[in-house]
Amino acid sequence: MKLNLYEDKNNMNEHVDVYYANMRPVIRQIIDSVNKDRPTLSGRPADEDLDDGEEMILDPSEIYYLDHIERKLFAYTKDGVFRIMNTLASCEEMLWTYGFVRVSKSNLINIYKIRQLKPDLNMKVYASFDNGERICINRSYKKSFNDYLQKMRGIM
Amino acid sequence: MERAKQYIVELCCVYTLMSVLGAIVNIIAGTQTNNANVLVMFATCAIAAFVLYLHKLFDSVSPLVMIIVQYLIACGLCAVLLLVIQKVFNQTVTAKGWFEYYRSFTIPYIVLAALYYYRVFSETKKQDELIRQIQQKKES
Repeated sequence: MKLNLYEDKNNMNEHVDVYYANMRPVIRQIIDSVNKDRPTLSGRPADEDLDDGEEMILDPSEIYYLDHIERKLFAYTKDGVFRIMNTLASCEEMLWTYGFVRVSKSNLINIYKIRQLKPDLNMKVYASFDNGERICINRSYKKSFNDYLQKMRGIM
Repeated sequence: MERAKQYIVELCCVYTLMSVLGAIVNIIAGTQTNNANVLVMFATCAIAAFVLYLHKLFDSVSPLVMIIVQYLIACGLCAVLLLVIQKVFNQTVTAKGWFEYYRSFTIPYIVLAALYYYRVFSETKKQDELIRQIQQKKES
């Protein structure tokens, strides 16, 4: 996508024009950013030694996956694991345009961060991420996962 | 109630398929079936549909384990079926009869399991390619 930036120190009416062919997730993300509706997740380091009590803003595109363990939600990023105060269902609704899809009762994965999708010999299918971790794609979610991929390819 | 309906629909589909296949095999081989065979086939289909229907209980285990456990359950139920037939009709199923019955049950099961295995691998490959495409489109 072509991006034009015009700097004018005297401009008192800053604005953004978006010319698009169809409403793709990336266009939706730009609109969300301009409207200040861009979803931001804030979290605290899961490791108590690193937690100084301050919340950090997490960029959804930096998150590999979300994991719901014992009623707590954790986001796994390159920089570490963060505890998030949202629910998994609200994150699923908020982040679907950012490539997040539900693959089990407790996992939401970012398809842009998947390095490889591969079945084991026991036929369980795993999504591998850059950080070396793997998340199992539950059979019950196989169809919705496939539908999501088809939908994303169609609207990209 | 909903589950029972779903099971009956599955049973109807399985039995229809098996009846048609059985008729085709009979035409090709020039053989004929009898009423007892039809009833045994229906009972076997009911067992197969029931065992397949159990797959939702095995969500937490791997598909391979699920296939093996389902096969063992099916074997157990088939043994019960043959024992009931022996009791009710007061007939003896010979050792060869047991062997033939389990063979005719096991071969299609292994073929279908292999097809399922292949499908899991091919579907995953397709999904992986789809993910690559989506990632490339995002980057471009």
